[in-house]
Amino acid sequence: MSLKHIIKPFSAWSNVFRDPVTVKDPLNDRPGAARYRGFHQNDIESCIGCGACSTICENEAISLVPVDGIETKEGDSGLRPLVDYGRCCWCALCVDVCSTESLKLSNHYTWVGEDPEAFKFIPGVDKMPWDEEELGWKRPEDNYELNNFKRISMLELTPEARDKSFIEIVKGYSKQEAQEEADRCIECGLCISTCPAHMGIPEYIAAIREDDINEGFKKLYETNPLPEICGRICTHKCETVCAMGHRGDPLSIRWLKRYIADQIESDDYKKVLELDSIENKDQKVAIIGSGPAGLSAAYYLRKLGYQVKIFEALPEAGGMMRYGIPEYRLPYDQLDKDINLILNLGTEIQYNTRIGKDISMEELQKSYDAVFAATGLHDGRSTRIPGTDHEHVYMAADLLRDITSSKEIPVMEKVLVIGGGNVAMDITRSMARLQNQKFGRVQVIATALEGEEILPADREEIVEAREEQAVINPGWGPTEIVIEDGKLKGLLVQRCLSVFDENGGFAPKFDPEDTDFFPADMVIESIGQGANLSYIPQSVKDELEYTDRGRIKVDSHFQSSAKWLFFGGDIIEGPDVIHGIANGHKAAIGIDQFIQETQKK
Amino acid sequence: MKEILERINQQFNCSAHEHQPENLSWVQLDKKQLVPLLSYLKHTENFSHFVLLTAVDWIENNEFQLNYLLTNHELHQDIAIRVMIPRDEPEMITAHHLWQQIATYQREINEMYGINFPNSPRVNESFLLEGWEGIPPMRREFDTKKYSEETFFPRPRQEGKDPQTHMKQKLYPDEE
Repeated sequence: MSLKHIIKPFSAWSNVFRDPVTVKDPLNDRPGAARYRGFHQNDIESCIGCGACSTICENEAISLVPVDGIETKEGDSGLRPLVDYGRCCWCALCVDVCSTESLKLSNHYTWVGEDPEAFKFIPGVDKMPWDEEELGWKRPEDNYELNNFKRISMLELTPEARDKSFIEIVKGYSKQEAQEEADRCIECGLCISTCPAHMGIPEYIAAIREDDINEGFKKLYETNPLPEICGRICTHKCETVCAMGHRGDPLSIRWLKRYIADQIESDDYKKVLELDSIENKDQKVAIIGSGPAGLSAAYYLRKLGYQVKIFEALPEAGGMMRYGIPEYRLPYDQLDKDINLILNLGTEIQYNTRIGKDISMEELQKSYDAVFAATGLHDGRSTRIPGTDHEHVYMAADLLRDITSSKEIPVMEKVLVIGGGNVAMDITRSMARLQNQKFGRVQVIATALEGEEILPADREEIVEAREEQAVINPGWGPTEIVIEDGKLKGLLVQRCLSVFDENGGFAPKFDPEDTDFFPADMVIESIGQGANLSYIPQSVKDELEYTDRGRIKVDSHFQSSAKWLFFGGDIIEGPDVIHGIANGHKAAIGIDQFIQETQKK
Repeated sequence: MKEILERINQQFNCSAHEHQPENLSWVQLDKKQLVPLLSYLKHTENFSHFVLLTAVDWIENNEFQLNYLLTNHELHQDIAIRVMIPRDEPEMITAHHLWQQIATYQREINEMYGINFPNSPRVNESFLLEGWEGIPPMRREFDTKKYSEETFFPRPRQEGKDPQTHMKQKLYPDEE
């Protein structure tokens, strides 16, 4: 070893005076790349707590937790994602699958701390330095989408093919279409609380996806014994809160329900639902009215073994579903498919029997352990403007009932409908069809107080009515039906400026200067229906309590203050079919409890 | 590029075609034809740059996919060559004699997917996963979560709620 070898290593000391090429610690100001996948950000306002982020996370790094100040409401679970960075691998699938695009990753990636628990936080709720950071990973705009936001379109009859007859418009999904549509569901279940019957929607959609139709069918009947009907004419409020609806088309929940019911033959209903043998009980329940609420209660009571008898004033069962809703929306054979099962379970039904006239309430009270009254809203309300007493002024509910009963109804050259709800659309489109059959052309005008944007009818009803050549001219208040020499000439209207006051109360304001005249030979009023409760004797009426709005007061099981008497359906809640079904189900549970308690005493 | 693709299709009896994005063509062919095609592209069509070799596990079809990407810098054209091999016979002919760096890619794929390339230099030596035992980690049947739980310090999942159940509790707790 020479001296050189000993001295050489010390020459490295000369580097002490050179500028270092490495970066100084701590790392300051080293931003991530523009699309770097760093810590999460979440827009708490647009997040709906659907949990797609948590479901897709393979590392189980995301959990949904309640957050103070965020309320659970329709369409929002009130939960928000909490991210555990001890498990996160920054794959960003949570961002890519987010149904509202609220979840993003900032490009911040450094965070030093000694407590592992601090690395769990709720983005957007627990304030973080990167909350306002613009840069970071966002779902790429083009050609990259984990969700399918486009609804599988439904085959429907063209306006030309349907406007002369009452054949059903909607064709229903094929197996492939139904499975593709079902595949769009992310199973968040936000829809369930919005459905009045709280149907197990994600579960029956999953059954379609797995092609286990029997299982799906059983699921439907757990909460809804009228699936063919609801699968066609439900107001489908569930679809308004569907998580997919935030960035695209909501799931076609209604058509999927119909798909399941359509696949099962009537003859197989009992077998699939395992209802071949029911253990009978001795107690008897009377049901007044065979509408959705009455039928639903009958189904669930019969399933429990009670002797159930329905009293129906009209010659056939179904209530407004048969005598209100036109055949092109709900064909009678499909209606009967649902109803027949309930009757085949041993439910007795006595037609053409009006309680209060043919049989008294007191008799029912005497002969039955409980009574469920679901008599609905059948009496058309009148505008009571001058001229409504003319013989060519009709009520929509009466005409729709006569159409179902195959009675001859007056079809005149110029028809005017007052009303903008679904019943108004039903009569408008029915009259358009009848005019087409009689005259080969349509001349129906429907007018309503509400402006185009706030028409109460379902949007598709309005669109389809127009496709069928009916004129919908909203935003007018009727003032007078003009009659000359005893002949109906038409309707005078004035512009309606607003319908509701600040508190949402009904208080229409008009502009008397802005008027119009709609010529007509007949006028049909369709501004709503009222209940006819004249069948309840005074002695019972005295026992009942009423709400501030004048409705009969019932508890959560639809039991009135006369304990033996339950009320449900449109007279209590709605009006629509699905509320009726839900009411009937809850009333059945209430009646069962009531009878069991009475037995014990 | 069209002419090149036509010549390939004629010589190798396949269906090479142009593809999105621009400047990228695809060709799929049999395992046995791969080395002749790579050689032809390198020496005759001037695709002198070997870019990468990757694999995909199509467990549903019981197949592995191998992708070879080459570039012709004069034409600014890429060509991707796809070879499907059966999953239960995971072996591919080596191409390291054409570009020696292919040996490294093949070694990595052998480690990550268990696809062997016999006669490739050092192909059975560890690349990243020193001392790895069991199923190669990029195979789809490899359970990442199970592996992590068994190998690392377990960190229990943060307790959370299911939206459906939570909404029922909050909005309609009394209904059956």
